[in-house]
Amino acid sequence: MKSLFFTQPFFQKNGKSVALFFLVAIVFWFIFLVIIPQLYMLDLSFRANIPPLERGGPKDFYTLEHYRHFIFGSKTSADAYNFVDLGVFGRTILVSIFVTIANLAFCYPIAFYIAKIATPSTARLLIVSLIIPFWINELLRSFALRILFANEGVINNVLTGIGILDQGILFITYDVGLYTGLIYAYILLMMFPLYNAIESLDINQIEAAKDLGSSTFRTHWRVVIPHAKPGIVSGCTMVFMLTVGALATPVVLSSPNTLWFPQLIYQWFNLNDNWSRGSAYSIILLIVSVVFVLTMMRIFKVRIGEIIR
Amino acid sequence: MNFLMGIYILVFFTYLFGPLIIMSFTAFNSAEFPAITPWECFSFRWFNEGKIAYDGQHLAGLLTDWRLHDGLISSLIIGAGVVCLSVPIGMAAAIVLTQVKSQLRDIYYSISIMPVLFPGVIIGISTVVLWDRIAGLGGGGFISDVGRNGIFLTILAQTCFISTYCFLIFVARLQRFDQTQEEAALDLGASQTQVFFKILIPYLAPAIASAAVIAFLASFENYNTTVFSILSDQTLTTVIASKVRLGISPALSALALTIIALTVIAAVTYEILRRRQERKYLESQEEFVKEKAASSRVNKDYKAGFKVPKGIVALILLVIIGSYVATQIVKNDLYGNSCIEAADTLKKSKFLDQLQTLESNQLSDEDLQGGSLGGNQDYGDIFGDPTLFQDFGGFD
Repeated sequence: MKSLFFTQPFFQKNGKSVALFFLVAIVFWFIFLVIIPQLYMLDLSFRANIPPLERGGPKDFYTLEHYRHFIFGSKTSADAYNFVDLGVFGRTILVSIFVTIANLAFCYPIAFYIAKIATPSTARLLIVSLIIPFWINELLRSFALRILFANEGVINNVLTGIGILDQGILFITYDVGLYTGLIYAYILLMMFPLYNAIESLDINQIEAAKDLGSSTFRTHWRVVIPHAKPGIVSGCTMVFMLTVGALATPVVLSSPNTLWFPQLIYQWFNLNDNWSRGSAYSIILLIVSVVFVLTMMRIFKVRIGEIIR
Repeated sequence: MNFLMGIYILVFFTYLFGPLIIMSFTAFNSAEFPAITPWECFSFRWFNEGKIAYDGQHLAGLLTDWRLHDGLISSLIIGAGVVCLSVPIGMAAAIVLTQVKSQLRDIYYSISIMPVLFPGVIIGISTVVLWDRIAGLGGGGFISDVGRNGIFLTILAQTCFISTYCFLIFVARLQRFDQTQEEAALDLGASQTQVFFKILIPYLAPAIASAAVIAFLASFENYNTTVFSILSDQTLTTVIASKVRLGISPALSALALTIIALTVIAAVTYEILRRRQERKYLESQEEFVKEKAASSRVNKDYKAGFKVPKGIVALILLVIIGSYVATQIVKNDLYGNSCIEAADTLKKSKFLDQLQTLESNQLSDEDLQGGSLGGNQDYGDIFGDPTLFQDFGGFD
């Protein structure tokens, strides 16, 4: 095994006790925390939902029931497809794409400014003030937006107080609050990969492009963005995956009559006590989002190793 | 162009900070609903004892809310546990990355960063279902107790992805490691274990510190994973979430403001320390130059004048403005028990007025039959007076 995996004999290189520690730590992490739980969840998602006592009994068999339910709905329903769950899922994916694009658009100018235009001390100040909001709990950040957007909230009170509006706008009901909150939640994870990528670009390249008569837009399109592509892709991947899996922000900000897909999983799992179906829905979420990200990476020709640097 | 850029940056940072600042203000409003308008009184009640509403509902403040305290304690325990597990794991994985064959490196790296890309809910669920099964197989006794212990499960679930954060920090530090140091130590007769403890660990010390801080913060503020793996226990975040779901209270603003204040203090201290270190380094460089030059002409240039630090000026300004605002607030009776009592009696009297209106609203038989008020037989006494509920502010 030594020569199979490692460049040098592992136990000789590190000393016996340290090598043992490395091996235990890594096996514990990879096998015990990452791989086995996922595999067991996959297994559970194909099993019938039964109480623990009946495990191993006649009712404990493999079934596609939970995946069937996601697509076609329960057997008693009249609809051909499970429009409710499919709708929630489609909406989650679409809104996540929108949130990712919005994040990229908002962050790009700031990242470029901090990386290339600002003086070092200004850049430091801006970076520190970017980080501060993100040391605060995601729930509390969403709560701050809830105060603003509630029906009797600050924005509505101010607008009606001045007399611009007669009645408050239902920000929460129309999910304006949710979209704002989701954009707010992970914006830092877009900012830093972008900043790192743009920062490594040689300023002379931009100057050269300008000297050769390129317009500002063209300079960005042909010089800066191609250079920053790994950063853009890694930021987009992180924001997309985290938004698709977000639970805290939707719990606080989504309107009572719409659901975010992880909320649906939560309902099956904690409120309806159907762990198998919750697992099946989790697997669906995981596979679809990973496949989506890999497809996007294939389209934009980025390797997986470049994603997190 | 620069002007536009300035405006955009201003808008962007308003978006980042505006909600937080407004939330901070609502923590000082004595009203039961976190709001700027209508402003009742300036008060610290949400940091202290909270308030008991007329219907007996206790809106707890920070000091009296035992659920928050319990949640905080288990959050701290979980944070400590996660730091103890994820920092060694991340370090081991990062060091081994440098020794893995190059063909395997991509796969190894992909497995290491995978947990970050998994949605948090999935990590939580998979840990719970696995350990529920283990606890079931273990029958009674210790294993089943451990497998159904929310704090233990949360530590494992969070370690799964927080180890990756630590791993990335260590990888970044190891990339600048000079391998010749190790070789020199080996040549001088050190054993492999000694090299690890005397060379590698001291070199990695800053990374260990920052990985520990990041791991603790990530654990402390995690919700998506914790809400599944915590089972019947509570952490700070799950308590907050259940509070938000039940109805929003200014006590949460007070909590957020406390966290913001701690964060800002930590950030400012870090920045000051860093600048001081930088200045020291520059000064030592200057001294070095002076010694080298040893000429009076150069020395003169380095004589520094007395400068008032900007930070102190800002602080003094802040204190002056703060004390002015405070005196104005007290002078105008916007602070203290008298103001709160006045606001409460105002609300109560409104409530009483409405009650009286309700009671005095006796309708004659003719009205009930659908007479002058235009009501109908069944609902006459409810819809009789259209202005009845207009000013009704709720039951507090």
